[in-house]
Amino acid sequence: MARHHDGEPAGPIADRAASVFAADWKVGADLARVDWSATPLGPPDRWPVSLQTAVSILLASKFPMWMAWGEDLTFFCNDAYRRDTLGQKYPWALGRPSHEVWEEIWDAIGPRIQTVLATGEATWDEALLLFLERSGYPEESYHTFSYSPMRDDDGRIVGMLCVVSEDTERVIGDRRMATLRDLGSDPSVLRTEREMLDFAVTQLGRNPYDLPFTLTYLYQEGGGARLAAATGFPGGHPAAVDFLDPGGATVWPIEMPLRGESAVMPLDGAVFADLPPGPWAAAPAQAMVVPLRQQGGQPYGFLVAALNRYRAMDEGYGAFVELVAGYIAAGIGSARSYGAQQRRAEELMELDRAKTTFFSNISHEFRTPLTLIMGPVQELQNRLSDADPRVREELEAIRRNGMRLGKLVNNLLDFSRIEAGRMRAVYERVDLAVVTRELASVFRSAVVKAGLDFEVDCQTLPSAVYVDRDMWEKVVLNLLSNALKFTFEGSIRVTTRAVDGQAQVEVADTGIGVADEEMPRLFERFHRIESARSRSNEGSGIGLALAKELIALHGGVITATSAVGEGTCLTIRLPFGSAHLPSDAVFSEPGVDSAPTGADPFLQEALRWLPSAGESAGGGAGAAVGRGEQAPEPVAGPRRAGPADAGRVLVADDNADMRDYLTRLLRGAGYEVTVVADGRQALESVTADVPDLIISDVMMPDLDGLALVAALRGDPRTASIPVLLLSARAGQEASIEGLRAGADDYLVKPFAAAELLARVRANIELSQLRSHHIRWRNALVDSLQEAFFICEQDGTVVETNAAFGGILGYGPEGLPYRPAHPWWPEAATEPEAHRRVAEAFTALPGRDRGTQTVPVTHREGHRLWISIASDRVRDPDSDRTVIVGTFRDVTAEYYAVQRETALAALAGCLARATSLPEALTGALEELKNLWHARRVVAAVFGSGDEPVLTTTDPALAWPQLAAERRRALADLRQQPALTTVADEAGASVLLEHPDGPLVLGIELGEQRPLSVEDLLLLSLLGSHLAQGLARVHQIEQQRETAIALQRAILGPSSLPEGFAVRYEPATRPLEVGGDWYDTVRLADGRIGIVVGDCVGRGLSAASVMGQMRSACRALLLQDASPARVLTVLDQFALDVPGAVCTTVFCGVLDPETGNLTYSSAGHPPGILVHSDGGTHLLEEGRALPLAVRPEHPRPESICAIPARSTLLLYTDGLVERRRRSLSAGIDQAGAVVRAGRDAAVEDLATDVINSLAPAGGYDDDVALLLYRHPAPLQISFAAESSQLAPVRQALRGWLDQCDLPPGTVQNVLVAVGEACANAIEHGHREVRGEVVLFRAEAGVDSLHLTITDSGSWKPPEIQSGTDRGRGLTLMHALMNQVVVTPGPTGTTVRMHKRIGL
Amino acid sequence: MTAPLALTSSRRQDGVTVLTAVGEIDMSNTGDLATAIEQVPGPIVLDLTGVEYLDSAGLSVLFAHADRIQLIATALLEPVLTISGLADLTTVHRP
Repeated sequence: MARHHDGEPAGPIADRAASVFAADWKVGADLARVDWSATPLGPPDRWPVSLQTAVSILLASKFPMWMAWGEDLTFFCNDAYRRDTLGQKYPWALGRPSHEVWEEIWDAIGPRIQTVLATGEATWDEALLLFLERSGYPEESYHTFSYSPMRDDDGRIVGMLCVVSEDTERVIGDRRMATLRDLGSDPSVLRTEREMLDFAVTQLGRNPYDLPFTLTYLYQEGGGARLAAATGFPGGHPAAVDFLDPGGATVWPIEMPLRGESAVMPLDGAVFADLPPGPWAAAPAQAMVVPLRQQGGQPYGFLVAALNRYRAMDEGYGAFVELVAGYIAAGIGSARSYGAQQRRAEELMELDRAKTTFFSNISHEFRTPLTLIMGPVQELQNRLSDADPRVREELEAIRRNGMRLGKLVNNLLDFSRIEAGRMRAVYERVDLAVVTRELASVFRSAVVKAGLDFEVDCQTLPSAVYVDRDMWEKVVLNLLSNALKFTFEGSIRVTTRAVDGQAQVEVADTGIGVADEEMPRLFERFHRIESARSRSNEGSGIGLALAKELIALHGGVITATSAVGEGTCLTIRLPFGSAHLPSDAVFSEPGVDSAPTGADPFLQEALRWLPSAGESAGGGAGAAVGRGEQAPEPVAGPRRAGPADAGRVLVADDNADMRDYLTRLLRGAGYEVTVVADGRQALESVTADVPDLIISDVMMPDLDGLALVAALRGDPRTASIPVLLLSARAGQEASIEGLRAGADDYLVKPFAAAELLARVRANIELSQLRSHHIRWRNALVDSLQEAFFICEQDGTVVETNAAFGGILGYGPEGLPYRPAHPWWPEAATEPEAHRRVAEAFTALPGRDRGTQTVPVTHREGHRLWISIASDRVRDPDSDRTVIVGTFRDVTAEYYAVQRETALAALAGCLARATSLPEALTGALEELKNLWHARRVVAAVFGSGDEPVLTTTDPALAWPQLAAERRRALADLRQQPALTTVADEAGASVLLEHPDGPLVLGIELGEQRPLSVEDLLLLSLLGSHLAQGLARVHQIEQQRETAIALQRAILGPSSLPEGFAVRYEPATRPLEVGGDWYDTVRLADGRIGIVVGDCVGRGLSAASVMGQMRSACRALLLQDASPARVLTVLDQFALDVPGAVCTTVFCGVLDPETGNLTYSSAGHPPGILVHSDGGTHLLEEGRALPLAVRPEHPRPESICAIPARSTLLLYTDGLVERRRRSLSAGIDQAGAVVRAGRDAAVEDLATDVINSLAPAGGYDDDVALLLYRHPAPLQISFAAESSQLAPVRQALRGWLDQCDLPPGTVQNVLVAVGEACANAIEHGHREVRGEVVLFRAEAGVDSLHLTITDSGSWKPPEIQSGTDRGRGLTLMHALMNQVVVTPGPTGTTVRMHKRIGL
Repeated sequence: MTAPLALTSSRRQDGVTVLTAVGEIDMSNTGDLATAIEQVPGPIVLDLTGVEYLDSAGLSVLFAHADRIQLIATALLEPVLTISGLADLTTVHRP
């Protein structure tokens, strides 16, 4: 290594070298110590000339340079370079390879050097940032340098020379300067502390090199410090803590900066881990804490500035941070002081506003007492015109001063209005010369009286000027008043001219003049010019100031010129036209010329200044002069006399003095006065008693005057009452507001008593005229026969007429009637009626017009029905829609209709009824509906133990009624019939019922009274019901009779065993027709069987049939030969009208043998179905129908009916159908019988009649007769063993008819015998004489045997082994099925035996 | 009235008593049958050829003497005798 060794003596080489390095003895000495032989360059004495020369030049230069030579780019440098750049690397670096020397920046410079060596072109870099480790740490440094090639003796590039100047100080200095400059760039626009801090954050954030991060903490009032601003923290960090609590250890020291001390602190510890590095590679290691110092006070806070770790913390750095803190502190101080100033300004403005408001309010408040002073004073002056002069003088003084005070108050009000921007000027197009001349003329008398010349020279101007008349009046009068006040001789001159394109008005006097030094304050408010002499010490110092303000409102200016002792000239300039004025306040039409209205106070005041005028003004005449010019004296005198036609006035004012004053004034004028203290009371009073006029103050608590007017106008009953508003608020806008609200008149306080009275009189006359119309209208409405009412949209009835009260009992005294109106039926007791009337009234507003009938309740409680007609009308006064309605009492008509309807319903119901119960049930239902009753009961006290109850509640029977109710109903029988009784449940009435007395009770189920009309109606309906029931009863009886008769002619009521019959008459409700069947028990045990069919249907056919049936029956009884019977019947039929062509089947059956002898007179053949299903028609023995050929003989035939076969006889109605042959019908009938040949004949009969019925029912009479052979055996015998043999005998006979195998007969006999023995032995051991029933019936292939007793069998297991147990065994063995059914009344044994098995 | 029943007693050549019943036997006349049988000591032949009806009451009399009687009965009575089991206890002869 080429390290030098201190203290090594220089050898010859060194000597040689010394000559090479002689240019600088300091660096040269060190170079000489390098062991050059260890480098590629070799010993210096062998160096080429070019190298030696280069080194010599290098060392000689005062400019910092270094060079690299040879293959290792061996490092050389001079002293300047050593000082500025190399630092601690010297002298180590000398003779070393360049890449070792500048290892840390080789990345940056290496490529540049290679470029130079390769291309031979020099490089240039300016202020390049290089981190040099020359001071023991990587240091931020900036360098401007150039690399240039170096050539050897042969001209080859073998090295490079770097000429460098370091810019570090300049670059960093510029940077810091920029930050400081920006911080202080434009603090004037930073209004608040926050804005200032935000600004600082922006600026500090732009220099993260010197300030990697900053934290600005501000001390808090309660101690501690709050983080107010921060830079360099993209996110949060524990070091950027929001609040530093003074109590404990804090991240940053807060006490030290508070003492005004700065410090640099290391950023060690966990809280400082991962601090943001800013633009640098590593986070800052130190921070400086600097107080934000306040001039003459404790610091505002402190700044924490992180320090760039690549720069040493030197004096410059510290100063920079201090300066930054200084800027921030200054900014905070400025912002805080600006805020304080602004708050102060705002407070002052607020104070000013409060003052203005105060002036405005106090001025308003002055007006009322002023009125109360001025009014009575004027009255007193009038009344005491003849009194002691002193008294008059004092009164005049009061009046005068009052007037002055009024003027002052008005001026103050004007000011406050101007200040508040509320001065509403109305600019009218005027001839300014004329207006001004008129105003001046008002003052002429006073000026002349003062002994001055008054010169008015008002030339007509070329163009119109727009002025507010009232304001202009004030301006001119103020100027004139002022001139008069300060002029004692000479003249006052008023002129108008056009000057410089503007209107100019001058008021010039020859008065005392104004000193120069006072001139600037001439127009200043409340500033009074102290002058040696004036006509009066009075003056508020606001006259000229007000004039100036008013002129300014007109876009004009006022100026003054004056000379002491010579006079003053005030000059007003106003622009022509209206272009400079707000267009909405400009009126092009010239206003109505009117006399000045505000001149009086000015003139009065002026006259007062003049000695001669003072005396004059002291009397009553003074007042008269002023007033005479303004308004004529009101003619009040006559009004005071006559209370006869005086009106009634309601006074509403919250000021008691004012009320008293007005009362005195009005009572004095003969009016009847009512006073109230506010609008609310006024409304109440008005509602009770309508006055002719209402005088109301505008300002009142609770309900003010304007609201009162609105309320009055909103109510139709009070809409037309005239209202006179009194207000302290002067000015047109106030009066317009009052009139817009609907007031009839408006008077500003203070007002003259006479004026008030004049207005009152005018309004009352108008009111009375108006009320005359109203009375006429009311008289018309009252004359209506129908009730009349007006109601509002919400249903409130606000007006009624006399008939309304007459019908409902609710008169006008109860108005308004709000829904629910008192005449509505009670919702609790009559919900339905309530609903109807509520619907009707609430529907009124929605209906254009219409009529409806509803129930209402009269004030005295009785029910009325009214028919309401209504229409919607727009009220022209209030522009609201109201409902005008009329109604009339339709109670009588309503009840008549109700009665008729109810009677019709009841009659209809009774007419429909075919029986008494049906009639009664229907009638009760009608009654229930009529009264919307919960229940209607009818108790008939007939022959039974307890009455028969019929009710609309089907589940209810007499015993379920409450005992009280039962008793109440029973007691009613004591009442006379048809007398209605209202009771707790509703109402009851006693009627006659065919079965006995009937008590009818209507149970309403709610507490509602039945009206007298209801009771009357109940009585009426009751009588109709009783009559109706009697009629129904009568009809019922007749019908029963008819049916009994019909049934009598139809056929036998009881049939022999084995038969079943059916009858279907074609004509309902008749139960008979032309067909018949008959069975006749003949003396020999045989049975006559007849089925016949007379021609036709209905009653006539039935009457023929009855005769034929009776005849046939009689003939059979006499001679049991069918042929002979029919032969005789032929003759009989000849004599009976309608009997010809009757067809008859007549047969005689031997039930024992089944032999049937028969003859047919043109009748359809009987159908015989055998047990095996074989079918056979009884077609023999057939001849013509009756009486067709009476002389022809009639044949007779015999048919054996086999056992267990079924015979069907019928009339043609059963089988005859249109478009179908009779035989098809007969086949169908045979098929039905065949299918049911094993069924019981009763069941089969039903089956046949149903199966063959056409779709719409039979349209011809049908009679059918079925016989099953043999007929069932039915025996009842005493339960004695002796009966067993006869029973067995009978059974044996019947079984013979059944045509059974012999074994079967014996089995049946034994089984039946055992069952009968059981019945006798066990069923009747205790009771003798009981009866046992036995029935045997034969089916096609089975026998059904039934034995019924009235006892109970022992269970078989108990009996086993005994006789009877053996009997039961036999029964089961012999029969196919044995079923023993014990029952409560006896035991039934059913046995079944199949035939042939 | 009781069921018609005629009872006649005779002695066969071998000394056995033959009791001949004609008519119907039911609970109304079993007492007569029982008396007639009890009057005969020793074996007895009961001829039921003329009996048209015999019910369980009559059977119970015959069961009481089943060890000493023989029966003569037609096919008419056969089911009853068989079902009741009497035919198994006594000898039944066809007439």
